[in-house]
Amino acid sequence: MDDIELPGLAHLAFVRSPEAHARVTALKVPKDAPGLIAVLTSRDLEGLARALPIQAPDGAEAADEPHPVLAGEVVRYAGEPVAAVVAESRALAEDAAELVEVDYEPLELVIDPALSQCRLVRWRGEGGDVEGAFAAADEVVSGRYAMPRLAAVPMETRGAVASYSADDDLLTIWCSAQDTHRQHKQLAAVLGRAAESIRVVIPDVGGAFGSKGSLAPEAAVAAVAAMNLGRPVKWTEDRFENFVGAYQGRGVQADVELALTSGGRMLALRAHIVADLGAYLLPTTAIPPHTTGMLMTGCYDIPAARVEVVGMRTNKVPTGPYRGAGRPEAAYFVESVVDDGARRLGMEPVELRRRNLVSRFPHPSPLGWTYDSGDYRRCLDLAVELAGPQPQPNGEWLAGRGVAMYVERAGGQFESARASLESGGSVSIASSTSPHGQGHDTTFAQIAAERLQVEPDRVKLSFSDSAVSPAGIGTFASRSVAMGGSAVALAAEALVDRCRRAAAELWSLAPEELSWDAGGVLSASGRSLSLGELAAAAPGLEAEARFESDLVFSSGAYHADVEIERATGQLSIKRVVAVDDAGTIVNPLLAEGQVLGGTAQGLGQCLVEEVIYNEEAQPTTASFAHYSLLTAAEMPPIATAFVESPTPLNPLGAKGIGEGGAIGTPAAVGNAVADALGGRRLDPPYTEEKLWLAMEESVQR
Amino acid sequence: MAGDGGVGAAVKPAAFEYSVPDTLEEALELIGAESRPLAGGQSLVPLLNFRLARPARLVDVNRIPELAYLRKDGAALRIGALTRQVALERSPLVAAEWPLLREATRNVGHAQIRSRGTVGGSVAHADPTAELPVAFTALDARFHLRSSSGARTLGSEELFRWPYTTALAPDEMLVEIEVPPLPQGARAGFVEHARTHGDFAVAGAAVVLAPGRYAAVALLGAGPKPLRAEQAESALLEGAPAREVAALAAELAGGGYPRALMADLVRRAAEEAGA
Repeated sequence: MDDIELPGLAHLAFVRSPEAHARVTALKVPKDAPGLIAVLTSRDLEGLARALPIQAPDGAEAADEPHPVLAGEVVRYAGEPVAAVVAESRALAEDAAELVEVDYEPLELVIDPALSQCRLVRWRGEGGDVEGAFAAADEVVSGRYAMPRLAAVPMETRGAVASYSADDDLLTIWCSAQDTHRQHKQLAAVLGRAAESIRVVIPDVGGAFGSKGSLAPEAAVAAVAAMNLGRPVKWTEDRFENFVGAYQGRGVQADVELALTSGGRMLALRAHIVADLGAYLLPTTAIPPHTTGMLMTGCYDIPAARVEVVGMRTNKVPTGPYRGAGRPEAAYFVESVVDDGARRLGMEPVELRRRNLVSRFPHPSPLGWTYDSGDYRRCLDLAVELAGPQPQPNGEWLAGRGVAMYVERAGGQFESARASLESGGSVSIASSTSPHGQGHDTTFAQIAAERLQVEPDRVKLSFSDSAVSPAGIGTFASRSVAMGGSAVALAAEALVDRCRRAAAELWSLAPEELSWDAGGVLSASGRSLSLGELAAAAPGLEAEARFESDLVFSSGAYHADVEIERATGQLSIKRVVAVDDAGTIVNPLLAEGQVLGGTAQGLGQCLVEEVIYNEEAQPTTASFAHYSLLTAAEMPPIATAFVESPTPLNPLGAKGIGEGGAIGTPAAVGNAVADALGGRRLDPPYTEEKLWLAMEESVQR
Repeated sequence: MAGDGGVGAAVKPAAFEYSVPDTLEEALELIGAESRPLAGGQSLVPLLNFRLARPARLVDVNRIPELAYLRKDGAALRIGALTRQVALERSPLVAAEWPLLREATRNVGHAQIRSRGTVGGSVAHADPTAELPVAFTALDARFHLRSSSGARTLGSEELFRWPYTTALAPDEMLVEIEVPPLPQGARAGFVEHARTHGDFAVAGAAVVLAPGRYAAVALLGAGPKPLRAEQAESALLEGAPAREVAALAAELAGGGYPRALMADLVRRAAEEAGA
């Protein structure tokens, strides 16, 4: 995004609040500074930009506490944008931003969501006879489990370039974001402009991992500045801003109870889940905790469940989706209580799981989603098969083994695609989804090429420009192949049909008399037209398709072997087995890449990653010196395998593969750590000190 | 790429003057309270980018060839302050006679950092989690300082004061590190613990041992600056086993987990050094 240069480009820097909760009592902007063009405050945005919209998931209540584009009278997290400075260069904008004087009167801080008086989100789900099942249970096992806040840390930070043409009243904005559609819709809402008067272009994006699914408030400021000034304006977030200003993930705690019979039958589950949502509701903030709640029966045929989710306001940057987006939390909570249940019953964890897996599809979960397809038993068996020899403790190391299952919602809603025959016989496909590192070009070309019966290199994909891309929702929730890919398949088939009809017209035959073979039309009498010939004979052939479906449910079984060094508490991941069922796999190499990448992020969460706010609600992990990411050196051997249970809900049979690694890994490692510690349950990240203290305490007991 | 010079140049730091002297004498004339030397920039540039360091002037010493050398002078090793860290990692002389320096350097950040970062810069920055100050402390190195008005030489004890704080006066520059010879056959061990490969160390230990003749134990992360563990050194010299040496050294790291971690690191470093 930062590579985009336009004539007359001005640059944006933000004045961010150093206070986590304060009243702004005075704000003085510099009249002049080298290269200074303008300073914008919330007052300047009145009538030009309103707060970001809020999206409440089905059945959830969401408070009307949206993220302002720029803070008004009150700031609610350290890093919140208070004023924007436009200057001739980013450096000069930063210099001028230092001259903006803001007086703050500190207000009371809320850091712990459990102590927050402000509920932003609430959702309750219930199905089956929960009270009856708990009354009838032989054993009730319960636990409190938590996942820390995490930063997504994409290689490329956020950013936007906005340009306004007064002649045709068109605002064009290039964003480092996950897709055009949500940016487009949200920007139109914030600016109060007709969608047709905004063009959103997503250039090549250096990663998102969920963190670029909402419009950045700063991008809206760039848009307003470009319109006010009549000059294009660029905002390129720096790494510090990304750590303090980009929405984070997770930060969820659950109290979970599982009712069991002594024979190992799961009867019911109850959970109370508290999410630390931060200071405001961004458009996607409410979605991950809702997903966590909905998935709290996991892969198991639990007849009754009651789950309450509350999202509390704290003085931290808001949260939102981060790879897994509610699913890793659900898998971790469910799989932890299941393992604790197995320990209580004296049963092998794998055996307790086997006895309770959902095995018939479609399966309506008591919480309200319907699992479409899967072979959970096969996933679990395969994970056990691929596990190496049982790790053995010795004088220096404790050893542990953990298994975990997951079920993941993917897909849903709709996407579309347009296939056009180009002169020379190549095929262009415009897809409504947007790649940001997943390899859509390759996968979608394969999908189209298979239907057109041509080599994939004859298919050219285009994405991510609202002026030309067909309608859709976007790239998130592991949905691109299932939804966008299915639309591409349908569009390619529609183009084949269109070509047959065109040939039929040329030959004065009925379309039914023509067949499609090796990328061309063939008649019964042996006449043929290749794609290139068709393009010459009937220019402009084109077909569009829209694909819509309910959610599809991927699943998997993960297995982890760990060792913990007795002297230092160091956790060493010895081996991870990742078995994923994403239905039909279109491109095995890219699919495995997704699993490996997700697993690496899941391991990062287990070993080192945690966003920390101190007692003044200041983020103390706002640079790479303090927020650690794993390197290749920390990666253990990872064995991957796919089980392919095609979904009946789309023409490809494909479900989602983008997040499984990040979902299954923390739950499996968590269980392995608990196994190594003799059942003692700790939450990630499993830092040396945390593990060492746990070992010390058990020695003292 | 963003910005190609002119008013639009994309630099993060607050504005500063920039000088590039060709000689040490010129550099010494320029540096002072508001004027910082820039060597490899591996620590200073991030601080500038965060605007945590805001010198009025940067004196870029990278074009003073007389400051970059690594040579044996008599029995001692002399290291010019501008010598890149990678030189310590690759020098056969260092590997043969001062292997601790090689082992310590291999733990410094990543290869890119060691290629650009200088030995003197690491010392003068005095990061309490840096490897080279600890290694030099273990080796009884002497630090030669110069200013436009004179020269002086300090030991590790005098040079390092607090995190990021040395005895260097604002107008002084570290110009050379002199490492005395070790007894024939001395062995060394350097072990550190970092959260991930290349991350800042949480704790570390440097051990040098020539049985019966010389023993040094220096600790990283046990305090605000590199520490010598004297009781542990005495025990090591008398032939105590690594575990016992480690327990003595770890007392300096306080209690609880830091102590347990330090004990493990010193034990491993001592074993590498032949204890």
